[in-house]
Amino acid sequence: MRKILCLSALFILLMTTGLSARESIIEKIQKQGVIRVGMSTFVPWAMKDKQGNLTGFEIDVARKLAKDMGVKIEFVPTAWSGIIPALLTGKFDVIIGGMGITPQRNLKVNFTIPYDYSGMSMVAHKKKAKGFSSLADFNKKNVTIAVRMGTTAEQAARKHMPNATLKLFENESQALQELNLGRVHAVVSSAPMPVFHALKYPDKFFIPIQENFTKEPIGFAIKKSDHDALNYLNNWIINMHAQGFLKEKKAYWFGSKDWESLIK
Amino acid sequence: MLNKKKLKFTVIDIAMIIFIITAISIFFSRTSQVLDYKWEWDAMPSYFFFLDAATGKFKANILVKGFVTTVKLSFWATLLGFLLGIVSGIMGAKGSFEQRFISRVYVETIRNIPSLVLVIIFYYFVSSQFLDVLHLDTALRQSGPAVQRMTGILFASPGQINAFISAIIALGIYEGAYVSEIIRGGINSIPNGQWEAAWSLGLSRKKTFLLVILPQTFRRVAFPLAGQFISTIKDSAIVSVISIQELTFQGMELMSATFLTFEIWITITVLYFILTFSSSRSIAFLERKYALKE
Repeated sequence: MRKILCLSALFILLMTTGLSARESIIEKIQKQGVIRVGMSTFVPWAMKDKQGNLTGFEIDVARKLAKDMGVKIEFVPTAWSGIIPALLTGKFDVIIGGMGITPQRNLKVNFTIPYDYSGMSMVAHKKKAKGFSSLADFNKKNVTIAVRMGTTAEQAARKHMPNATLKLFENESQALQELNLGRVHAVVSSAPMPVFHALKYPDKFFIPIQENFTKEPIGFAIKKSDHDALNYLNNWIINMHAQGFLKEKKAYWFGSKDWESLIK
Repeated sequence: MLNKKKLKFTVIDIAMIIFIITAISIFFSRTSQVLDYKWEWDAMPSYFFFLDAATGKFKANILVKGFVTTVKLSFWATLLGFLLGIVSGIMGAKGSFEQRFISRVYVETIRNIPSLVLVIIFYYFVSSQFLDVLHLDTALRQSGPAVQRMTGILFASPGQINAFISAIIALGIYEGAYVSEIIRGGINSIPNGQWEAAWSLGLSRKKTFLLVILPQTFRRVAFPLAGQFISTIKDSAIVSVISIQELTFQGMELMSATFLTFEIWITITVLYFILTFSSSRSIAFLERKYALKE
């Protein structure tokens, strides 16, 4: 009996220490001297270079944030479909992974003000989607579109092409592979990846709609009810906008392809 | 190996080789022609090792790192699985009613849920309640560089340690259920005559079990257990869903970055095959060697 009491006391102790740790992540990061950033591979937001190091727009932003806080950085590559649960269960401190601010996600996590805007774009198969030039052309029952699961691309495809059949994949490379095999008419994804893909295989793929068909704010995501962290990160983003850091990085990663030799 | 058979090529062998070669070439010609897939193998070697410009030395790249993580993960998970499985197997075979009940519940629960579900439940619910509270990663970060290097070699870096441990535990629990059944079957397969003979020599029940039954059991189950180790290597791919940086995960990351889907999947397949095939060959070798003495 005493044993059971001891054990249950220990259990309750463990639970409460887990729950009472409600300090701001800003304090925690400074105490530990390291910020843990959750991200997932999205070209060119975050990806591994030839040396196996992470590189990309998000990675530059996160590194700069860590430098300004005076702490080390640790990236936690996470499957995109499980990235919000991983944040909520404390696998890392903040998501800096090109996450679009959506009302549904905002119910679960807190977002900072946007540090970037992205939009959905589409790359289509020349033979399968011959003559398609508008969203209405794709919004048909017999049209299949591949997207990455749990992304805003999935939401955008559902909203703008509700009649088309969607094929969901865990990774973007799988969705593109499906397009390469000619099993789907198009892939919807955040710009500029679809354009890059069409440029790489100009005889197989094309861009049916020139402009991005959505505009999405992108923010850092943190756990709910941590206002200190939200305030710090918001002001950091305002600062970075003012200094031109974000604009400069965006021009490098999205406006040029100078970085491509780093990857392959 | 006294009567070693001479290797002889028969018509069937030649037909088989021709068949395999044709199958492979059909695969490659179809992917490049019909699917219009551009093969780009030239970057592949650099994903194993790359020349570090700063030091002029070759360094391990993502695929090698992933391979090593898979080996480490399988080793620790097997160790834990064996511990759990041996205890549960003995309890299941010769324990009291309560012990047999516990063992049955464990084995039946684990064997009847998909390993994927188990790993996810463990990572999101169990490990965040227990492992994160222990603050293992914080302790490790504050420790000296020597300790960090050692745990890095044996387990994982401080940032990965919590996830790595929960993967080991989840995989270990999963494999343990199968090990338990192997052990239980092994013990039950020892004929009753062995018990009776030992009793008639005046050995107690406990001594009979430890000195007579258990040694014979281990001899019988050694090779099935080694086979379970190979299964663990294959099952370890499943923890890629909780972002353990093992071979499958690293491969998928690489694919997302480079879009070299076929090249990377083929490479990963070959790497797994090398690992499991060499293990199974060495087990078969040991089996032949020791089977002679029985």
